[in-house]
Amino acid sequence: MVVVIAEQRNGTVNRASWEAIAAGQQLAAGSPVNVVVAGAGSEQAAKELAAADVAGVIAVTGGPVEHYTADGWIAAHATVVASVTPQWIVLPHTYQTRDFAPALAAKLDRALVTDCTGIKTADGKPAFTRPVYQGKLAADVRPLGEAPWLVTFQIGAFRGDQAKRGGSANVRTMDAGVDPSAVRQTPEEPFQEARQAVDLSEAERIVAVGRGIKGPEHLPLARALAEALHAEVAASRPICDNGWLPMERQIGSSGQTVAPKLYVAVGISGAIQHVVGMKGARTIVAINKDAEAPIFEVADYGYVGDLFEFLPALTAELKK
Amino acid sequence: MEREALDVDVLIVGGGPAGLSAALTLASLQQSRGGEPLAIAVLEKAREAGAHELSGAVLDPRALAELIPDYRSAGAPIEADVHEDRVYVLDAGGKLALPLIPPPLRNHGNHIVSLNRFTRWMAARVEEAGIDFFTGFAGVEVLWDGTRVSGVRTGDRGIDKEGRPKATFEAGVDIRAKVTIFCDGVRGNLTKQLLAKLPLAEGREPQQYAIGIKELWEVPAGRIAAGTVMHTLGYPLRMEEFGGAFVYAMPEGRISLGLVVGLDYRDPLFDPYAAFQRLKEHPLVADLLAGGQRVKYGAKALPESGWNSIPQTWMDGGLIAGDAGAFLNSFRLKGIHLAMKTGMLAAETAFDAVRAGDTSATALRAYQDRIDRSWVREELYPVRNVHQAFNHGLIAGLTFSALTVATGGRIPLRLHGEPGHEMMKTRAEYYGSTRGPIAASNAVKADRVRTFDKVTSVHFSGTRHDEDQPVHLLVETDVCYSRCGEEYGHPCQRFCPANVYEMLTNADGTKRLQINASNCVHCKTCDIMDPYQVITWVPPEGGGGPQYDGL
Repeated sequence: MVVVIAEQRNGTVNRASWEAIAAGQQLAAGSPVNVVVAGAGSEQAAKELAAADVAGVIAVTGGPVEHYTADGWIAAHATVVASVTPQWIVLPHTYQTRDFAPALAAKLDRALVTDCTGIKTADGKPAFTRPVYQGKLAADVRPLGEAPWLVTFQIGAFRGDQAKRGGSANVRTMDAGVDPSAVRQTPEEPFQEARQAVDLSEAERIVAVGRGIKGPEHLPLARALAEALHAEVAASRPICDNGWLPMERQIGSSGQTVAPKLYVAVGISGAIQHVVGMKGARTIVAINKDAEAPIFEVADYGYVGDLFEFLPALTAELKK
Repeated sequence: MEREALDVDVLIVGGGPAGLSAALTLASLQQSRGGEPLAIAVLEKAREAGAHELSGAVLDPRALAELIPDYRSAGAPIEADVHEDRVYVLDAGGKLALPLIPPPLRNHGNHIVSLNRFTRWMAARVEEAGIDFFTGFAGVEVLWDGTRVSGVRTGDRGIDKEGRPKATFEAGVDIRAKVTIFCDGVRGNLTKQLLAKLPLAEGREPQQYAIGIKELWEVPAGRIAAGTVMHTLGYPLRMEEFGGAFVYAMPEGRISLGLVVGLDYRDPLFDPYAAFQRLKEHPLVADLLAGGQRVKYGAKALPESGWNSIPQTWMDGGLIAGDAGAFLNSFRLKGIHLAMKTGMLAAETAFDAVRAGDTSATALRAYQDRIDRSWVREELYPVRNVHQAFNHGLIAGLTFSALTVATGGRIPLRLHGEPGHEMMKTRAEYYGSTRGPIAASNAVKADRVRTFDKVTSVHFSGTRHDEDQPVHLLVETDVCYSRCGEEYGHPCQRFCPANVYEMLTNADGTKRLQINASNCVHCKTCDIMDPYQVITWVPPEGGGGPQYDGL
């Protein structure tokens, strides 16, 4: 049996959780999947999650499991694991998971495999593919020791829309009975920064601009294209370094890693630091005046030419 | 501002070979001598042990065998024992193998190691010994009690680009110690503060440095036997540039390939990184790499100027060991064993001083006596003039080297050197005009198989810094705009091996220096080589920097 630990905010499940469910379904290979979701709003989120083809959804509530704290989440999920005794525990590799999952694994004294991009099955036993050397190589690893094993999946590694739906999941709530005095952290309101931050990893379409845009006065060209495509605007590092776009919109090794359905790279040369942040996109379109720019090596469609002519024409065509 | 304070007996700043050898020595003295245990702490700016360590490296095991006699069975990560030395003189298309290996380059009995793996192994032993090893903490400021060193302040965390505290702000900690052992490496930022405040360098030769640029390659098996050590002179360097290349072969087709270039070159448009790319195009190296893959990249400066440039390494409450004190034998291209040995001697001195309750300069001076009685002096004193001889060109250097070998170093001379950055000529002096383009004189177009642009290479150093923090390269930029372009053509763009410095042109045609601080691989070259000495390298937020593995 597989337990997927989903994430929600104010009753809304994030995309990464759906991806984790898709991964959990593949890993379960027919055996039951249960989804756990915690925090204020989890009951509403559980209803949304019940649309998945899973055996059950458990909304964890009560006492300190209102707002996220590492101690609260570790205690609550340890209790859930003890009561449902899964074989596998699957999580999306989000910031929150990174915060509590290692400690949860330590508390359970079980193995944790992080940031996986795929599942392979050989001799009836699954192995997990995970990047090493900054994505240069991929290693297949198998956790040792006793079940349950914890596995986190990289955002974009699975597709949320491929999570099988249409089950008749049994939804229940559970008070994990976490002792408030055992929670050492006091959650405050989400920071200003966090509230404003754009989670580009959730975007389905992205228009990203690079040095080729020349100056902030030309950004409206990219914004217009993004609007026509219902896409988010993102950038490579020089643009954010110059303050033309906020740092939270930076894609690449020092920014966010994204895997949208469509990624339009406008005037981006394709430095490896940028490419590692977007090579998982399903369709990559590159617009660059230099035919030898490395971005064309990862692009599915390329246009060699002047972006200042091409962008307005493309935007106008899309609006038709 | 409120700061936490921590009191220890001995603080070691820097978790490289010197600092960790010092820590292990303290632990073993504690065990053998008994008594009230000393409080010891080690600070390391890298996120994890060894991540900022980079060297060739051929290790002379002399110090290691003294420190950990059973190092082989204790699992020291030795890649290969050296079984063959080769030395070549290269020109653009060919090579000449030296029939006889010069004595300083004979490596029989030495080991090929990856310094960061080796350091990680040592760090694990330090932690096993129960010593507090704090990774991710950089020492940013020496704490003083008058002219007495009283400890080190670690860097603040969670400061944004504009210098404002972020929600994650944590003030640095004052670590006060009876003795602080500075092992902050080549051009250490704290040792620099010591040298500025105390007359430690008085009467010594100026420090001279080189930059080493290195890659780890994986090539098809059977290309070169593990344990083969190759050194070259000549191409891609010219007669006027000091340095040479190395190839160290490890098992499974792994090769350490590097180029060391003196940071005293004349040509303001010379680019050490471009020279390294050229090296890979030379048939000797190209044949070795064909079909292989570059897996890692890094760079680090090294102190070259030897015995006569070593500053006074003892003071009230403080000692200096390893590269920070220039303990490196440039004649043999080796420094790890000297770093380890000086770390061990510093620890013995600190231990005795703390136990005796006197950590004044007078007591800590015993460190100098220990160095003088040890093989450190025996090894470094005879070759004290060799690097300075190379200041007069390759031929002078080689001739003097031969004389040094012949006489065992008994030449009653003191050769003087100049600081390397003063050797750089202006464009007008070197080229007779400032009209030419400002571009590397030895530029190579990257083929992205064997040769790469700097930005791509930076990725393979694994370097990472929080982007939202103050720039850690303090540059007095007035001179960049008023003089440097005309005089030297912004050499920072070339001597930096990580594309940190970029001169960009504004819309109105004026120039602007963009500092890509998060590319920095902590090599210190800019702090050393900038001709106006207006660049100061300070530690970024702890944990930032390269992530070397296997280098």
